[in-house]
Amino acid sequence: MEIINIFFVIVIAPVIGGLLFGLDRKLTARLQKRMGPPILQPFYDLFKLFGKGRIASNQFQLISVSVYIACTILSLILLATGQDLLVLLFVLALGHIMLILGGFSVRSPYSQIGSQREILQLMAYEPLLVFMVIGTYLKTGSFLVSNLMTGSYKPLLISLPAFLLTQIIVMAIKLHKSPFDISASHHAHQELVRGIYTEFSGAQLALIEMAHWYELILLMGFIALLWQTNLVIGGLIAFACFLAVILLDNISARLTWKWMIRFAWSFGVGISVANLAAIYILR
Amino acid sequence: MSNLIYYVPLSIILVALILAPLVFAFVISIVRSDYLRSLIIIMIAAVLAISSLILFARVTITHQIIHYAPGLIDWNLLVTIADFGLMAMFIRMGVRRKSALILVFAVIQTIILAWVEFGPKHTEMAYPPIFIDWLSIVMTLIVSIVGSVVAIYSLPYMREHERHQNLTISKQPQFFRTLLLFLGAMNGMVLSGNLLWIYFFWEITTLCSFCLISHDETEESLRNATRALWMNMVGGVGFITGIALIQFNKLPMDASRLLELVRTGNEAHIIALLILPMACLCFAGFTKAAQMPFQSWLLGAMVAPTPVSALLHSSTMVKAGVYLIIRFAPIFRHTALSEMVAIVGAFSFITGAMLAIGQSNAKKVLAYSTISNLGLIIACAGLNTPLALAAAVMLIIFHAVSKGLLFMATGVVDQSIHSKDIEDMQGLWARMPLTSLIMVIGILSMLLPPFGVLIAKLAAIESSIQNPLVMVMLVIGSTLTVVFWTKWMGRMLATNPQADGRKRENLPALYAGTLAFLACGAVILSLFIKPILENLVLPAVANYYNVAGMEMTPTVLSAPWLMIFLVIALSVLAPTFFNHLRSSQIKPAYLCGEQISSRAATAQFLTVADGTAEMTVRSYYFEKVTDESFHVKWVTIVATLLIVILFGAVYLWK
Repeated sequence: MEIINIFFVIVIAPVIGGLLFGLDRKLTARLQKRMGPPILQPFYDLFKLFGKGRIASNQFQLISVSVYIACTILSLILLATGQDLLVLLFVLALGHIMLILGGFSVRSPYSQIGSQREILQLMAYEPLLVFMVIGTYLKTGSFLVSNLMTGSYKPLLISLPAFLLTQIIVMAIKLHKSPFDISASHHAHQELVRGIYTEFSGAQLALIEMAHWYELILLMGFIALLWQTNLVIGGLIAFACFLAVILLDNISARLTWKWMIRFAWSFGVGISVANLAAIYILR
Repeated sequence: MSNLIYYVPLSIILVALILAPLVFAFVISIVRSDYLRSLIIIMIAAVLAISSLILFARVTITHQIIHYAPGLIDWNLLVTIADFGLMAMFIRMGVRRKSALILVFAVIQTIILAWVEFGPKHTEMAYPPIFIDWLSIVMTLIVSIVGSVVAIYSLPYMREHERHQNLTISKQPQFFRTLLLFLGAMNGMVLSGNLLWIYFFWEITTLCSFCLISHDETEESLRNATRALWMNMVGGVGFITGIALIQFNKLPMDASRLLELVRTGNEAHIIALLILPMACLCFAGFTKAAQMPFQSWLLGAMVAPTPVSALLHSSTMVKAGVYLIIRFAPIFRHTALSEMVAIVGAFSFITGAMLAIGQSNAKKVLAYSTISNLGLIIACAGLNTPLALAAAVMLIIFHAVSKGLLFMATGVVDQSIHSKDIEDMQGLWARMPLTSLIMVIGILSMLLPPFGVLIAKLAAIESSIQNPLVMVMLVIGSTLTVVFWTKWMGRMLATNPQADGRKRENLPALYAGTLAFLACGAVILSLFIKPILENLVLPAVANYYNVAGMEMTPTVLSAPWLMIFLVIALSVLAPTFFNHLRSSQIKPAYLCGEQISSRAATAQFLTVADGTAEMTVRSYYFEKVTDESFHVKWVTIVATLLIVILFGAVYLWK
């Protein structure tokens, strides 16, 4: 069973993730009255990137990308095999910080500013994730995903409704969707060019892109956990959240990092803490 | 082998751990030869490390707490006399530094001490003064190994340090005298059970820190040392008041006895008598561990030579503060005091991390991070569950190694680039590859998996769930921690392939050796966290609470750490060794195509009217939001209020 899970994570997850990003581009295009690329476009892009010649500024960039994708896959494996959620979050953070350091490792104004802002993105969403994990602990008495799945608990969403909202915020921040596309925008015509990704190219950029696909599945997995009794429903909720993030991306403009931190730490942390407080009181 | 260890008499181990450093402190203060001094230091370091390991092995094999009465002379009398001698020295210092504060606190301490020593005595059921349990072992291992490494590192550092000072007479003898005295006193403190002994050694560390901070005798260092002295004297007043109250309540003046009484005796009655003295001891712990609002002495201590900071922040001094609180934590479990200790600690954790974000001075960042981490340890002591205590002990171990390493590396960098500013460390990765690699390992070991500090932090978060307020502060504080460490690493890594190139770095052997030892230590200790937990930490905690293993083993430890370790190691090593960039594949940074020349050694670009400009980058410090003087003001006020509330709560709780 574990082997099947791990196989699913490594092989199937990026395919689904890539398709979802293809869907994202299509939907976004339609919302903007464009035709949009084919659904498979992310895969075409990926293969093209892998085919490019290798250029980098230093060896550390290669290390940072390698650790980034390894940690992202590892955290997805930890989720799929029912491991500790708190550990998972920090393995994910390790990958993310290595990517940031990769951006820092080149003395280029664009990637430097991108990396600085990426730290702020990390700072904005990290407590929201940890609070959600603590919420599941309060309901189940354990950080283990396996414990959550096998125990006979009611769907978590009923007692932890605030975390659906915070997870949408987390997803938007993590995917760099407007209004949170602060450290790097999806379109290279911003003032930061491609922000933190500016100095990555070819296969390195392709690996980063793939890591994002894994990451998307991981974030949707988190949301699906909120309806742990039936993962099909959970998956549908996660998909709905993904659509909500796309919609949000299209109806909002990018804002400043100050706004992002203020929003995530007042509204996001606020409803998280309120939800947790309700559980403490009702216990 | 195990027999051999058992037959080393305890008295010899204790002499090696406590008396040898004290005696050699006086020997070294008259040695003028560099060579002889190095020899003595290295020898003492080896003796300390080996003795502490033997003591550890002995307790592991016998599984027994040790109570031991040293023979030959009346040591109690000696401690009493030396105690008054110390007070006389403090008073003299107060006069010489013209500091009324020092004078006042020294006089108060002397009066209370005189009352304790000569007032109504009751000699009931105290154990012999030496008391060794697992917590003492953990502490003595840290003091003797990490402290010794710092002492060895000081040898080349102080030589280099004095080269720039044009001194007629070297001040190294005094420096190393104080250093050894410090190590001996720390060992004495953690191996004593008699409260008056603990207090005596505690005051020696206060004195030593004053001497070390004022070592350079510049105006600033004297000023900061004076502040450190009076702040720690406030703690000393708290300590001796606690002892006097215990004596007044006719309770035993013995840590081991007190812990036993609480575990077995008429608990509610005894705890009611003990809670106020315990609050005083915790207060003393706060001052020494530089918790808000006493943080300023530790920040001021950074004017001292870097080995001093490495020593104060990692294995000695501040750890004495948290040791004292952890030592007595079970006594005030389930009281208002415990709750308040947790809140005071968590408050320092979050505000220390917040203040660190705005700093660009490496030593200041490290100092705030120490304050923050000690806050976390104290918060764990206040949460006061077996699991929280296990987390606290783990944090003490891992923090000592990583923080010692980071200070030492900062010192090496400082001597090479003559700056402690993180902005000046830009591109250090290319200029000093070995040191910056060690520094990055040190930083990573402070905040990310699979390193011990993080695992302990996760255990702390797990145990904080019972206390929502502390939990929220820990979560937010952890996030803030990530920010300043990542910024720092980013600065070191920011290289310019054309301008910087990649140099080989020649570190002096003693630098390379001590840095590599601690860096490997940080990695290896984390790799073996499970055996460390089972053989060192859990016995220490089990001895306290009479609980089985399950209740204090953090669940995070059940994660597949070996796999995580392997995946991370592989993903680092594979591109390092098997995917080398050829020089033709290395390209300069993108500057919108306005680079002067892609091969140019500098990062210049074309700007308006065909002018040229140098491209510079620096870190965000969020000056408007993180203004230090503003935040320190309100933090000091809130922290002072918290301590007032702490005493108020203790008063009302009775």
